[in-house]
Amino acid sequence: MTPHDPAERRDEDVEQHEAELEKGEFNRRAFLKLAGFTLGGAALSGCTRGREEKLIPYLVKPEEITPGRSYWYASTCGACTASCGILTKNRDGRPIKLEGLPDQPVSKGGLCAVGQASVLGLYDSKRLKKPLVGGVEKGWGDLDTSLGVDLETIRGSGRGVRFLSRTITSPTLRESVEAFLGTFGDAKLVEYDPLSVSALLDAQEEAYGVRAVPRYHFERAEVVISFDADFLGTWISPVEFTSTYLERRKLSSDAPTMSYHAQIESRLSITGSNADERWTLRPSEVSSGLAQLAAAVAKRAGVKAPWSSLPKGPIEAGVVEKLAERLWTGPRGRTLVVCGANESDAQRITTWINHVLQNDSDQVEATIDLHRPSYQMRGNDRDLMALLAEIRDEKVGALFVHDVNPAYDLPDGVNLGKAIGKIPVVISFAERVDETAEHAKYVCPDHHYLESWRDAEPVAGVVTIAQPAIRPLGETRSAAESLAAWSGAARSHHDILRDYWSRELLPRSAPGEGTKTLDRLWDDALQRGFVELAPLSKVPFSYRPPALAVPAARSASGLEIALYAKVGLRDGREAHNAWLQELPDPISKATWDNYAAIAPSLAEELGVKDGDVVRLAGSAAGGSKVTLDLPALVQPGQDSSTIAVALGYGRKGTDRFLNVGPQWIEARPTVEEGQTVGVNAAPLLSIAGGTLRFGGAKVEVSRTGEERPIARTQQYHSLEVPRHLAPGKGHPRPIVQETTFATYQKDPEAGSHHAHALDTMWTEDHSYDGHHWAMAIDLTRCTGCSACVVGCQAENNVPVVGKDEISRNREMSWLRIDRYYSGEGDEVSVAHQPMMCQHCDNAPCENVCPVLATLHSEEGLNQQVYNRCVGTRYCANNCPYKTRRFNWFDYPHNDKLENMVLNPDVTVRSRGIMEKCSFCVQRIQEAKFEAKSEGRELRDGDVQPACVQSCPAQAIVFGDRNQRESEITKQRGDPRHYHVLEELNVLPSVGYLRKVRNREGGEQHHG
Amino acid sequence: MASSAPTNTAAGVETASVATVEQHVTPPLVDGDKSLGQVTNDVCRALEGKPTRLWYICFFVSLSILIVGVVAVAYQTIVGIGTWGLNRTVGWAFDITNFVFWIGIGHAGTLISAILFLFRQRWRTAVNRSAEAMTIFAVMCAGIFPLIHMGRPWLAYWVLPYPNFRGPLWVNFRSALLWDVFAISTYFLISLGFWLLGLVPDLATMRDRAKGKIRKAILSVVSLGWNGSQRTWRHYEIVYLLLAGLATPLVLSVHTIVSFDFSTSVIPGWHTTILPPYFVAGAIFSGMSMVLTLMIIARKVMRFEQYITTRHIDAMCKLVLATGLIVGFAYATEFFTAWYSGNQYEQFAFYNRAGGPMAWSYWIMVFCNVCVPQLLWSRRIRGNIAAVFGITIFVNIGMWFERFVIIVTSLQRDFLPSSWSSYVPTSIELLTLLGSFGLFFTCFLLFCRFLPMIAMAEVKGVLGVGRSKKGGEK
Repeated sequence: MTPHDPAERRDEDVEQHEAELEKGEFNRRAFLKLAGFTLGGAALSGCTRGREEKLIPYLVKPEEITPGRSYWYASTCGACTASCGILTKNRDGRPIKLEGLPDQPVSKGGLCAVGQASVLGLYDSKRLKKPLVGGVEKGWGDLDTSLGVDLETIRGSGRGVRFLSRTITSPTLRESVEAFLGTFGDAKLVEYDPLSVSALLDAQEEAYGVRAVPRYHFERAEVVISFDADFLGTWISPVEFTSTYLERRKLSSDAPTMSYHAQIESRLSITGSNADERWTLRPSEVSSGLAQLAAAVAKRAGVKAPWSSLPKGPIEAGVVEKLAERLWTGPRGRTLVVCGANESDAQRITTWINHVLQNDSDQVEATIDLHRPSYQMRGNDRDLMALLAEIRDEKVGALFVHDVNPAYDLPDGVNLGKAIGKIPVVISFAERVDETAEHAKYVCPDHHYLESWRDAEPVAGVVTIAQPAIRPLGETRSAAESLAAWSGAARSHHDILRDYWSRELLPRSAPGEGTKTLDRLWDDALQRGFVELAPLSKVPFSYRPPALAVPAARSASGLEIALYAKVGLRDGREAHNAWLQELPDPISKATWDNYAAIAPSLAEELGVKDGDVVRLAGSAAGGSKVTLDLPALVQPGQDSSTIAVALGYGRKGTDRFLNVGPQWIEARPTVEEGQTVGVNAAPLLSIAGGTLRFGGAKVEVSRTGEERPIARTQQYHSLEVPRHLAPGKGHPRPIVQETTFATYQKDPEAGSHHAHALDTMWTEDHSYDGHHWAMAIDLTRCTGCSACVVGCQAENNVPVVGKDEISRNREMSWLRIDRYYSGEGDEVSVAHQPMMCQHCDNAPCENVCPVLATLHSEEGLNQQVYNRCVGTRYCANNCPYKTRRFNWFDYPHNDKLENMVLNPDVTVRSRGIMEKCSFCVQRIQEAKFEAKSEGRELRDGDVQPACVQSCPAQAIVFGDRNQRESEITKQRGDPRHYHVLEELNVLPSVGYLRKVRNREGGEQHHG
Repeated sequence: MASSAPTNTAAGVETASVATVEQHVTPPLVDGDKSLGQVTNDVCRALEGKPTRLWYICFFVSLSILIVGVVAVAYQTIVGIGTWGLNRTVGWAFDITNFVFWIGIGHAGTLISAILFLFRQRWRTAVNRSAEAMTIFAVMCAGIFPLIHMGRPWLAYWVLPYPNFRGPLWVNFRSALLWDVFAISTYFLISLGFWLLGLVPDLATMRDRAKGKIRKAILSVVSLGWNGSQRTWRHYEIVYLLLAGLATPLVLSVHTIVSFDFSTSVIPGWHTTILPPYFVAGAIFSGMSMVLTLMIIARKVMRFEQYITTRHIDAMCKLVLATGLIVGFAYATEFFTAWYSGNQYEQFAFYNRAGGPMAWSYWIMVFCNVCVPQLLWSRRIRGNIAAVFGITIFVNIGMWFERFVIIVTSLQRDFLPSSWSSYVPTSIELLTLLGSFGLFFTCFLLFCRFLPMIAMAEVKGVLGVGRSKKGGEK
């Protein structure tokens, strides 16, 4: 210590004082010093406000982290195999929001609801934090040692090693797996997808010799005919398909184009709800319907139909002719028939029709690209069946289970689980002890995808990269690292990835740009989130016509099951995600449950109403009887002989949501103790013709007499009021306005509701000299996919309220999508209308608040001041759009880990106050600060609210309507633009662009 | 006799001068040929003796109900408004229904004490005291609901325009709820002042009769040194008249402003100019029925049959019938306006009231408020106390439902069908409503026990003492 060290000097002072005190020398100066110190100390300590907490615990600031600033990293979504590009928004070192990656060539800036919600899964406190050996938490070292011994035994015994996985989209991981399996004698990688499209792959292989999903270019298709394929919702790559499909349906341009889309399906999917025309059939009739179409196309093409005669098909002859005519008159190669049934015959006919129409041509820019296929779905059901047989025959020595849950998502899963339990060594990479992992000796939890390095090749030639956005929250290890460790060459995933890239990708990358180093390629990938590789050489494919069996005649009787994936829960992987459980189904608006959807006519016949529990009895894959008890939901637009049930429910451990909502004396639990959310419908899956069948199996339905109400966010489903309450003329409310494409081309303002010019006697309160924010939503583009709903929830810390609160109509979502049916019975047309605070310039909520808790900003925002709100709810009553949400309770925020997902820019609201859409005011402010710090004006497009950013359909436009050149100004000037409830003169800032359907007939009357 | 106290003499002199000839053709306002002293004795008997067993039973029942209500409100305040059956679409239901219901009940008191005073309706003297007390208790009950219906009731003082340091953040003078705050608080203060002022001469009488020291001391203070002199009476009469003048417009304004909560909104079924007169008529209708209900019980329990006579009941019945007709007419007008407007939202709001999922509440309202009061056309029924009692109960129920119908059925299905919803009350809401009755009756029973239920000084004025041969001591 130097003499000048202050600490030492202080010590000296103290010693001096002590010496003085002992001597009894206590001068005035010393007394004043001490007294002052004591008094000051006492006063200071009296002023403290409890325990001191450091808000920002950085002593040494980590590089690149500035508290309060958000950082964005380009990455790849791992929620499903579609592998869309994402931007992860990091605040203070943790990812809090995922958004679409704008320039990504496949997903094109969109991100679906599941992708948006997957950030919550990162902070799931019920994820495994450590590996398990025999159900006991162990370190990775112990596990590796023990597993090493087991694997040696298997190697010695010569028994088979099987690696069961969902489609592996990562080329690196695929190589790792193959290399690892190569060290065994009898080893095999088996891939399957719970939502299998194996029949499509089989048909492609038969026809073209390549087992891959071709890349569908909906943007090139003038005519799209879809048989049971929910390509806008859940089929293969919905974000990509939504964006490309709408590319061909552009109205806001000089040359409006609109493809013709017909949907023939058994249940009402969101794709069907967006179709221009739609017909229903039974799931078992898909191939016979396709055969009808094939025959009609063959007749026009002058080629020999695959069948000389066909039994009567499910589609009316007139409709078949019309569709065939549409296909035939559409430009060659510019039409597209897709089929979602996992049934080889149906897929063969689909391939045949597309071939006849030259949609697979490599001469023109055709709708089906075989040269750059998609690798998003590669599962092989035949391989799976073979593996299941091996497991049953106890021929498997070791089974690795990666990213799938066969004991849950395959038929007869319970017995399969038991059979898996008998395999000597089972290794699961599951993030929690799921239905399969509970039979595994080793559970080696993989990272959440946001914690891990990863790559993916969703489409040939596009390799995306995922970079860790946070350090792993638990002691998890990525599958690739585990495999490397078990191969005896432990390496980090980062190194494995770089090694693979330098060997395989670098040679293929960007020819013509000179030599690229791995670092350049790598940095490029990290910045952009993907790299585009040189296309493989175009080897012309030859088409081999398949042998087509004559489809079976229509079965006239009995009911059939149609199992489907919901937009929110899909195959059930995300069943532990409360945001997705609470996301209203885009069609039924049901939450927190699956149900038996029944057509109105069938419901009437059976005497069943919404919420009556019905028993579905079918036969399981093995032939035994299976019964499921499910509440019924009367679903317009569904085939009258089909019962549709969603997969993905009934997951083990979902009773965690028992107390997800507020607790009070009349509260009902979201799920009963020890039960699951919904019922697993996988036992009703069937296996036929070597593929997993989601529909077509016979079921019997009986009433149980019980009731289980379904919590839905919408109670009334039509724009027409009940007929008996509209004496005289009962015309629909002009809330959703729509017209047909033909009419629109003649008169772009067609379909508008007669609006009066409204005069006012009051002077304007606001001059809006600066910005004047506004939004426009194109109803022709909105598919109802609900990505915006989850995006809004994540951005704005919207609480999860649980099933009981939903059934009390107290959902908290700031943004909802209203869905209206029009038409009768099983034949309905559907309109989706996103609805949020309309930020009225003459807002009825503002003048009724007694304490001025909701105010109008100079920029036209309707602002809710949480601190000022006393909660009279007068504003919500007076809101014509009913977009205000009241905090009925303090919603639980007890899970500390889960709270890390909260957006620090947005207040978590306390009980008793009102909240609503703010137009993401925090983003407006951020963009303004950004522009200011860069010394420039705010540009159009700088501000993107969460809903706008991630919309795969780009249906929402936000901007400053004072800017003359802005996109929003253009949209507001569009002849299709209208305001909902314009006649109230509340002057909403949100406008809608009329819905246009490409169908025949005059003016549509939704409005 | 104590009735020779100077207080009463002056009243007799004062009012005798305005006695009308009517008294000779219509039945007397007080039966039983009471002398001034008898009046004092009759009224004070209830206050000076021990309460009856019936009183105790009633009091404990009321108090228990009140306590249940307090527990319900405490629970709701601690846990949240979610313990009520409200939802994103129906933001008000029982809370504001109860509020408007109780405010309506409160109207009869001021009507009787102020307007009927100004119109020299002398029959009011026997009932005005308790009607005013009822007003005050009803307004208290009403005032609780806007308070507890807030999400954060502990911040309720923010609705008051007090000086503060929050800069431009003050109350919103454009909000009808704020107008309510002013209207209700003004009404409560004026009613309370009016009532307390009217009590002064009677309190002085009680003071003069008081035996215990403490009782005497308390009464001396609250009777404000009343000495019954000519000057005192003069000042009293002038202030009373002025307050009556002040209170009169309030009878019309309070419910008009309460109706603004609805009529200034944009919700079909609320947004209508007919609401102010409709609400005022409804308020008098419900208030008079409640006065009748209470008087019929009180005259029995407190043995005041000779003071509250069939003549009073008959007069009030006529008022009930008249206002009931106005209310019925308003219901019809609403439908006509909706139909004539050609506005589909407006039309639907009313068709939905009468035929929608909550039509039952509408038809209860129509039956109770329009059909049942028609019985009062008959003089025989007006003279039948039991029948009148039954009718008033129907009207009370009907008027509660009127507010329920206006509030809930309008909100339940407004513009966007996607947000249509329904409403079912929770146990907490039912108990809160019950609790408000507990509060009302507890207060009323305490009033019966501790304050003169009949305005002695005023009743003595209509006895005709000094004009008939059966006059008093004078």
